[in-house]
Amino acid sequence: MAVTASASVNPFGVKVARARLHRTPVRLRLTAAVLAIASIALGLIAATAATSRRDAAHSVSASSEPQLMRAESVYASLSDADATAATTFLTGGIEPPARRSQYLRDLDAASAQLAALTHHAGDSPATRTAAATLTNQLPVYTGLVEAARANNRQGFPVGAAYLRRASALMRTRLLPAAERLYGIEGQRMNGDYRDGTRNAGLTAALVAAAVLFVLLVLTQIGLARFSNRILNIPLVIATVLVAVLGMWIGLGLSGEQNALAAAQRKGSDSVQLLSASRVLALRAQRDDSLALIGRGSDTTSLEDFDRAMIALRGKRAGGGLLGEAQRVAERSGTAGSLAAVRVSLARFERAHARVAAREGIGDYTGAVRSYIRGELRVARSLDAALESETRAAQQRFATNADSASSSVRGLRFGIPLLALAVAALAVLGLSHRVREYR
Amino acid sequence: MRRPSLLALAGLAAALCACGSTNDAALRSSLAALRTPPVAPSSSAAPGPTCAHPTWSLHPAGPGPSVRAIRRRGRLRAGVDQNTLLLGYANPLHGQRIEGFEIDLLHELSRALFGRPDRIDFRALTTAERISAVRDGMVDIVADAVTITCDRARQVNFSTVYLSAGQRVLVPSDSPARSLKDLRGKRVCATQSSTSISALGKYPGVIPHPVPLRTDCLVALQRGEVDAITSDDAILLGFHAQDPYTKVIGPAIEREPYGMAISKSHPDLVRFVNRELARMRADGTWRRLYRKWLPGTPRQPTVHYRD
Repeated sequence: MAVTASASVNPFGVKVARARLHRTPVRLRLTAAVLAIASIALGLIAATAATSRRDAAHSVSASSEPQLMRAESVYASLSDADATAATTFLTGGIEPPARRSQYLRDLDAASAQLAALTHHAGDSPATRTAAATLTNQLPVYTGLVEAARANNRQGFPVGAAYLRRASALMRTRLLPAAERLYGIEGQRMNGDYRDGTRNAGLTAALVAAAVLFVLLVLTQIGLARFSNRILNIPLVIATVLVAVLGMWIGLGLSGEQNALAAAQRKGSDSVQLLSASRVLALRAQRDDSLALIGRGSDTTSLEDFDRAMIALRGKRAGGGLLGEAQRVAERSGTAGSLAAVRVSLARFERAHARVAAREGIGDYTGAVRSYIRGELRVARSLDAALESETRAAQQRFATNADSASSSVRGLRFGIPLLALAVAALAVLGLSHRVREYR
Repeated sequence: MRRPSLLALAGLAAALCACGSTNDAALRSSLAALRTPPVAPSSSAAPGPTCAHPTWSLHPAGPGPSVRAIRRRGRLRAGVDQNTLLLGYANPLHGQRIEGFEIDLLHELSRALFGRPDRIDFRALTTAERISAVRDGMVDIVADAVTITCDRARQVNFSTVYLSAGQRVLVPSDSPARSLKDLRGKRVCATQSSTSISALGKYPGVIPHPVPLRTDCLVALQRGEVDAITSDDAILLGFHAQDPYTKVIGPAIEREPYGMAISKSHPDLVRFVNRELARMRADGTWRRLYRKWLPGTPRQPTVHYRD
């Protein structure tokens, strides 16, 4: 912007009558007004940018992350309930009280988390539909499982048919609905991440600060030329304040952006990959139970087992969800913690192979025994390892998301105050000059 | 004044360059991994060709090469159902051990083969798998309520008839229906690839409801999803034993002679099994086992040989 001391057009291009323009007091008043408006505009732009960033950062940690964890918990609890019900049935006779209470705990957790999730979901129709499916079908599922138990206790083979029915309902209605919820909440969270790291607001605020800074400097150069006074103290302070404000905006918002990106990279990326892995591991365990219950007549469960394992660990080393989780962990410097998961997974696969070997030679009783005493225990420790890794990643998320929120906390109030101060100082500095003409 | 501020702004720009960005990669791969493929629907079998005497089997004889091979292996691989009360089912009260009339017949065979009744590997089969399991050599023998039909007799060999069943209908005890003819416009459950579901084709207006395993029909009836079940009387009696609020109605729709299915390439096993069945009929074992498992008076099936 080529503005000289004898500018005939003010920086905003507002045309004013030539005659009036050449009268110095009017020019000074106009300049004061322009500077005041520019300060207030900077205040508005920067405050909006900071507020939207702060809202997004806050929404990630206070709303979308807890919602995603609720959806994950619903999904994992239902998967665990299904795996536990199938396993309990497989053992036959009187079920171990621990397993029964685990099944009941899973159901409690699923309905409690679902209630909390719908309570906080607002009015997203997709969430409501999926939640309604879960609310309506969960009692049907438990009814089928109880019918299976009651018939089983009387020695009736129709019990097994009820269990198959229950598991099919879980697979075809409940788990897909839980998966949809999980997907919706995941998308919402990533949307918040995008909002919280959007550059547009930050750029606009910085450009506004730079424009105001240049205007203030030019005003001072102009004043110095025709009044022969080098320093106008209020304008100098205003210039310094604008520079400070610009730096504060830049550092605050980019700090928030970096912290939020770290929250995703180190925290919630791992949370998503690990919780999905956990659901897959539970699915594999349930598949194995159903295959054993089917005693050879259920080949689809074994196929699904293979699919779940491939999705979990890939066909080659370093593939699958766990491979991706490993890469995310390495990127964010938290590698090594997945070692326990990999060890458990390898033991799980070996245990599965032992069960399959028993089945292969037709030793059904031996296969069931090996499943319950070996594979099941390993599956529990795999689940525990995945769960504890998920919680650790969640912790990493929380730390970074908190620092994202706190980076912009002061800005929201600081920006308007500083902008008003700049406007006041600019008016003050120029009114001194105007007074000299009276 | 101006220079330090510009430097600060340049520093800011440098800080911004380090700004992190976010992406959806983790969520996308999580959701992709969790997706379950849809279950493919299975179809029911069409009625097969006709022939003169599908139930006529091979004359009894002593062990041949395939019987000797089974003896060398030390175990008989038998395809059964584990859901059919009375005929063959996994008993939860006995640690899911498979029991029933057909299972006891197989134990008799094991005794004849190995001198011990328990040298059997049971493999549970779906109704649709019964013939292919024998044909493809997955099991040596199938004793799983297999009705001898011309179509099946072209794919596998059958032993002599070990039980004469008949297709009938099971309804809730308060149903006014007295036979399949009264069930026009109603949903009737039958097992996929069974002779019963083929027979339903002769009753227009009846809506077939196919399921993969027999007991799925009882679940469907108890949950009110179907109005009736059609199957063989031996199977329906097993359903009635699990749910007394049901009754078997009407005359037999079709004759359902049960035979044990054995591969075409093991005719000596067919003869060996026929010898054992003849022995069981003669020495009262068959009658004893019938009384042990099935209601009503035991009526031994008539036996024909084709050679």
